[in-house]
Amino acid sequence: MVDFVQLVILGLLAGGVYVAVGVGFGLVWGVLNIVNLAHGALVVVGGYLTWQLFTTLHLDPFLTLPVDAVALFVFGYALQRGVINRIIRAPLLFTFLLTFGLNLIVVNLLLLIFGSDFRSVTPSYSGQGFEFGSIVIPYVPLISLGVAIALSASLAFVLNRTRTGLAINAIASDRDAAQLVGIDLRHAYAVTYGLGAACAGVAGGLIALIQAITPTAGEPYTLQAFVVVILGGLGRVSATVVGGLAFGLVEAFGQSIPGSGSVFANAIAFGLMVLVLVTRPQGLMGRLR
Amino acid sequence: MGQNRGWVMTVRRLALLAVAAVAMMACGGSGSGGPTTGSTIVLGAPLGLTGALTKESTLTQQGYNLWLDWINTRGGILVNGVKHPVQIKYYDDTSNANQSAVLMQKLITEDKANFLLGPYGSAATATDAAIAEQNQIPMVEANGAAQSIFNQGYKYTFGVLSPANKYLQGVIDMAATLNPKPTTIAMLSADDNFSLEVANAINTYAPTKGMNVVLFKKYKNGATNLGAEVQAAKAANPDIVLNSGHLTEAIAINKAAKQQKLNAKIFAYSVGPSTPDFITALGADANFVYDGSQWTPQVKYTPAFYLTVAQYVAAYKAKYAGLGDPDYHVAESTAACLALQRAIENAGSLDPKKVRDALAALDVTVFFGQIKFDSRGINIYKPMVVEQIQSGVHHTVFPADIADAQPMYPTPAWDQR
Repeated sequence: MVDFVQLVILGLLAGGVYVAVGVGFGLVWGVLNIVNLAHGALVVVGGYLTWQLFTTLHLDPFLTLPVDAVALFVFGYALQRGVINRIIRAPLLFTFLLTFGLNLIVVNLLLLIFGSDFRSVTPSYSGQGFEFGSIVIPYVPLISLGVAIALSASLAFVLNRTRTGLAINAIASDRDAAQLVGIDLRHAYAVTYGLGAACAGVAGGLIALIQAITPTAGEPYTLQAFVVVILGGLGRVSATVVGGLAFGLVEAFGQSIPGSGSVFANAIAFGLMVLVLVTRPQGLMGRLR
Repeated sequence: MGQNRGWVMTVRRLALLAVAAVAMMACGGSGSGGPTTGSTIVLGAPLGLTGALTKESTLTQQGYNLWLDWINTRGGILVNGVKHPVQIKYYDDTSNANQSAVLMQKLITEDKANFLLGPYGSAATATDAAIAEQNQIPMVEANGAAQSIFNQGYKYTFGVLSPANKYLQGVIDMAATLNPKPTTIAMLSADDNFSLEVANAINTYAPTKGMNVVLFKKYKNGATNLGAEVQAAKAANPDIVLNSGHLTEAIAINKAAKQQKLNAKIFAYSVGPSTPDFITALGADANFVYDGSQWTPQVKYTPAFYLTVAQYVAAYKAKYAGLGDPDYHVAESTAACLALQRAIENAGSLDPKKVRDALAALDVTVFFGQIKFDSRGINIYKPMVVEQIQSGVHHTVFPADIADAQPMYPTPAWDQR
């Protein structure tokens, strides 16, 4: 019983990172119809920013997250405005190729700048946590989960309560109609991608606290973000939150199968994704459009 | 020769015959002195210079290049009184084993590599060994320890490192000497060939030393979230926590162990703790961790040629300043070059078949330890050593005769450090 409760806690805490990675990916996919294969690379850029600020300026890693968000927003905005916008109306394969290429460029730039060494942000309170009997709730993943929820809530606020957000929603519903009512498409696209990149940056900061990062550490996260968004459902931030937490739980229980461990964790996650696609194509919480 | 070439350049229009005559005179003129300079020996090595194995592949390349500088300042490898300078041709296999094999073939057919040096990792070494065999070109490798590579009946692949099954046996041997003696083991392993060989060897070896494996758990190679595995280990309450994986997983397990208060008398990981990154990434949490290592800068071997251990460490620090001591990936990679060099010298020929036979017969001790191959081509004669991180520094703690420190045992609980 204790083990069961501990596993649920670990799964939900791990889910926090998946939520953070998933929200930005889901936004870009839902609005721009781009499956952003460079998302993992942007995540790692955020991770390195946090690491750099932590090691050189000794800033608390959680305080560096807004810096990650702003820096990645600017980078994402410029990337969309300067590069991706040029092929935004091209078939899906072209955006696949472009974002895949961007992923390679970013990863190799990181290799040039930071080398291939493993970096990890280890503040003094890392590894400590609350203890209730034999159940442990470590601080860092707990705060990370809180950050991920807060990030999702702010994104939902921006999308549903601000003028820019409403413009983004309008584009997601009908691109041409949005243009007709005077929305500057190129700017709105770039803001959307920038917001997605900002979320990736925050996720990267959290990941640098939880694991050791290298320039290639982001690749699995692109894949996981994909599963998380499909599990939850495209088009709503709250759906991604559910998807991320569900993915964390599935992974934790998949890993705890006696003998096999996480050998099957991915198979279970993808199996669940297929099951969701077959039975509820809109996702656990998604809306049909 | 250089002057001749310059002269030839200025009179390019002269007849071919004249050029040939000049070349012949040049060769004949220097033939009577000391060792002459022969053709350049080209060695080929695909390495994962980008991708997931960049770190380890870079260390491998450093090891190769250290030897390359050394041999070329001496004019090259001496073959029957002729010194052949050496060139190593590298390609980036993007850490992909299949790509590595493609590049190995390219090195042989297009770049005319005389001999091959191994890539990083058991997976790429396995695919490259097949290419070496097909083309009958010897490959000396230093970074593929899975015995599955050597159980294929290949004749042209030689590994200078101790095989996978030895990686954690040293830790068990050491544990058997400690007081109070640990008796239970939780074995966590990544699911790749190499890691499973390491782990399965413990399953059969530990009982012979009076220890029981109470938990054996596989996880996905490269996993970064191992909370559930660590939780299972905690439930089993073992004296020893062993991990067979790589640097990524070793860091993940150590982080999770602290978070989830998994306490044990010994934490030992097959690969990872010996690299400086393990200490920089984990800080003080890296202390007390043991690992099985192919080599440490503290070992005491008497080399037959090349550098002593101390000279080797100094040479590394001179060439790669600021990186600390060379780790065992660097040392074993240099050792592969030394094995190839000595075999070429012994063969007195650049003929691939003769060099292969010389490799099979090789028995020499260098700074890395004894290099000798069994009939399969793997070096089962060199022992593994056990290292422990103590106050942020690597110390060799076993076997006792080459150790520079005592094991700090038992490992204190996380909240008492």
